[in-house]
Amino acid sequence: MNPQNVRGLIGWVRRVFFGDPARRFAWVSLLLTLSLAVAPTKDFFRQSRQYQRQYSKVIERRPDARALRGRMVSGIHQIWLPDLGILDRCTTCHLGIAEPTLADASVPQPFRAHPPIPHDAEKWGCVVCHRGQGPATEVAEAHETTVAWEQPILPVHFIQASCGTCHLDDLPQAPQLDQGRQLLARFDCTGCHKIAGIDRPAMLGPDLTDIGTKVSREWLYKWLKEPRTIADANGNVTVDGIDFGEPRMPTFRLSDSELQDLSAYLSTRNAHPIRPYHFDPRIVASLSKRQDVADQGEARFRQMFCSTCHSLAVTRAGETSLIGGDIGPELTKIGSKVNPDWLAAWLRNPQEYLPHSQMPRYEWSDADLYEVTRYMETKLTDPDLLADVPKLGSPTKTEIEAGQRLFVDKGCASCHVTEGLSPQEDFGPDLSAIGSRNISQLDFGPAKVQPTLIAYLKSKISNPLSVNPSGRMPQYHLDQASLDAVTTALLSLTGPPSTRGMEKLIVARQNPEFHPAGEFGKLYERYKCYACHKFNGFGGTLAPDLSYEGSRATRQWLLQFMENPQTLRPTLVLRMPQFNMPERDAAVFADYFETAMQSPAVDATLDRKQFTPTMAAAGKQLYEKKYQCQACHTIGSAGGYVGPSLGNAGNWLTPGWIEAWLRNPQALVPGTIEPRQAFTADEIQALTAYLLTLKQSGPANGAAAAPSARGTK
Amino acid sequence: MQKSLAAPTGTAIRNPIQALARWRDEFKEIFSARVRERQLGFRYTWYLGALTLGTFSIQLITGLLLMLYYHPSIPQGYADMKDLHFVVSSGVFLRNLHRWSAHAMVFLVFAHMAKVFYRGAYRPPRELNWVVGVCLLLLTLLASYTGYLLPWDQLSYWGTTVGSSIISSTPFIGEKLRFILLGGHTVNANALLRFYVLHVVILPLAVILLVAIHLWRLHKDGGMYVEHEKNVEKR
Repeated sequence: MNPQNVRGLIGWVRRVFFGDPARRFAWVSLLLTLSLAVAPTKDFFRQSRQYQRQYSKVIERRPDARALRGRMVSGIHQIWLPDLGILDRCTTCHLGIAEPTLADASVPQPFRAHPPIPHDAEKWGCVVCHRGQGPATEVAEAHETTVAWEQPILPVHFIQASCGTCHLDDLPQAPQLDQGRQLLARFDCTGCHKIAGIDRPAMLGPDLTDIGTKVSREWLYKWLKEPRTIADANGNVTVDGIDFGEPRMPTFRLSDSELQDLSAYLSTRNAHPIRPYHFDPRIVASLSKRQDVADQGEARFRQMFCSTCHSLAVTRAGETSLIGGDIGPELTKIGSKVNPDWLAAWLRNPQEYLPHSQMPRYEWSDADLYEVTRYMETKLTDPDLLADVPKLGSPTKTEIEAGQRLFVDKGCASCHVTEGLSPQEDFGPDLSAIGSRNISQLDFGPAKVQPTLIAYLKSKISNPLSVNPSGRMPQYHLDQASLDAVTTALLSLTGPPSTRGMEKLIVARQNPEFHPAGEFGKLYERYKCYACHKFNGFGGTLAPDLSYEGSRATRQWLLQFMENPQTLRPTLVLRMPQFNMPERDAAVFADYFETAMQSPAVDATLDRKQFTPTMAAAGKQLYEKKYQCQACHTIGSAGGYVGPSLGNAGNWLTPGWIEAWLRNPQALVPGTIEPRQAFTADEIQALTAYLLTLKQSGPANGAAAAPSARGTK
Repeated sequence: MQKSLAAPTGTAIRNPIQALARWRDEFKEIFSARVRERQLGFRYTWYLGALTLGTFSIQLITGLLLMLYYHPSIPQGYADMKDLHFVVSSGVFLRNLHRWSAHAMVFLVFAHMAKVFYRGAYRPPRELNWVVGVCLLLLTLLASYTGYLLPWDQLSYWGTTVGSSIISSTPFIGEKLRFILLGGHTVNANALLRFYVLHVVILPLAVILLVAIHLWRLHKDGGMYVEHEKNVEKR
């Protein structure tokens, strides 16, 4: 086509379309009309209408099409909760959300019914749990991060975070959230960060005022460099993760000179020197001659059930694992760590060195103490522990001063106290609203991750340097499940409630304290009962709740048990330690339990005499035949190991407790796995009578069994 | 010009029909009694004044419709934006039309002023109309600025924060001015309400009034300015 033709064509077009004012006007009007028609057209073909048409087709193929069609309303749907400030239009497209017949997987999304949850969607809306943009009626706007909305849908894997925005208390239905919160507390995240719902405990890390009397400078150097010491032949850390073995101390990235300065500063913290304990010379003389004194100590260590709180590394078939509890630190290499004088003083009275320690104060005979300390000093050692520590020598003044500065700068003072330095709070950023942080507020730094809050949190926790190479946060070592749990717990921190209605929904964390006064109170603190047991909602979860112990156990049994704890559940590894409690202390406990720890649901006046042998015989039939209790409980050597052994139930339990327990076990111990059976009154009477007849001859049985039965976890 | 029904000048009009007729004539007289074809051509004015008036009338119509959906309160203001976006039929169109036409109006006002300036059309006898026009420019900018806060999103919040801080740097009375504008010391619910009232009542009324004066003066000053008056006379 030559240029002349082109010009001719253009001229023709101009003449035909814009030749005179009338044509011009006509064409401009037509163009304007068309452009104005765009808006209503877009309106007509909006996404929600397409979904509603699609839904109509889907329900036509269902057997209950008629009913479904009857309930389907076209147009914009919304759940409006003015109190909560919630306006959700999700149901505009998610039309089958409340249709129970659309629950199966054959129903395409977004029409499937919501799986059953404890909350009613009509009452709560959708975004309160799922996040995203409620008012939106377009998929991208509702679900994803857009320019005008930075809070995307929360992936289902982390949905428990939403439970945590209102339920500040523990929530058994949200295990991932609970685990994450426990980890936040366990790793002392509150040392540096403000985290709503987790209080700063009285003691985060140990008080270091006298750390110089406990460990050497070389050990401090090693510990500060890498607190994890359980390694295989190649030097790789084998015991990792948080369930067991991970020290609560994270790994700080310290240079060699920083390590020298800090170890110098800490090794000179020794204001209160240890007074060496003078063992009875006759006992030392007689024991030190024996070859097996350490073995004796080991036996004693096991008998006293130190392993309930402390773990030891055991290598079996080339695989190292830790055996024991995680309330106290792992002790595999304790002999290479602490000063022997300090160890003896500590075992005799832990609170003298560390007032906030959870370690109970045992009653020691000189022989026991000598044997156990010898065991720990000679067997629980590692000669190579300090092999890679350079020659440090005695600390110089410059080093000590630099160390003190580092102690503050590196955040040590956030968790640890030393004399002259009070703990510093808010060393790290406030995390109270981290879960609602917008993406534009996050600094991803050099991290190559997706631009989402979840990816940011995971990257930051698993390697703090990934998002901020000059950050001060230390390195933690978490496995994938724990990382997800911590992320979930952090996502639940969305700041203070935005509306009055939300405020009303908050289920506050219960923080009951139970520190009774008097004689019992002193012993309670001495033996640290609450480290494992719960009392009126306060205390640990390792051991049974003792809030109603006075209603449950007979006085005689309590006295015997505390002097010589024998397990009721032979399969457990973690058992009550043997405190070598004097009779007087046991009596104080028994008195207190009998008076104060009573359940109103238990009839304490019930007398053993009113249960006859005939009833007991009927009860035996019910136990063995009708209800087959032996599936879970042992009597003697026969039966299951799910519930406690009932061989000594007659001596152990009170008639009132048995009777109330059979009526409703969950009323006495919430969440117990004992099934609630529909016993008749006669059956309860018969079973109670039978259980009361079950008596073992004496405490000797259990005592003999306890030390030998060692399980592994 | 037809003046048969019009009452003699200077006498009070009592007959409503006469009054209407007078009105009609007044409207006709937006243009001068004698209008030359060249004055109406595209070359001299590029129709900038008329286009500005056109965008302003779009603003009035769409603005009135938007007022049906908007509450000047926190956080409802933002929720209303969402409603306009997601629920109101053609709500996005309505809002965007208002917004783009506002941008166009600011641009056209500037262009109109530049055209008048570079052609020297501000010279006597049109000097008063130039002053009125400058006032209209300021009112247009103010209307645009007050409308910016109303969506109550991050952009508008910070835009207003910055803008009001600029106002507070006026010598001597800066802080007072800012306080009067915001109804307080920070951009909050009071500021939103004040900006709303300014945007939908005070400024539009002022613009309408000044536009009326502008057109009246246009008529009185001999219509659109055309260069080379002698040449025009010859035709």
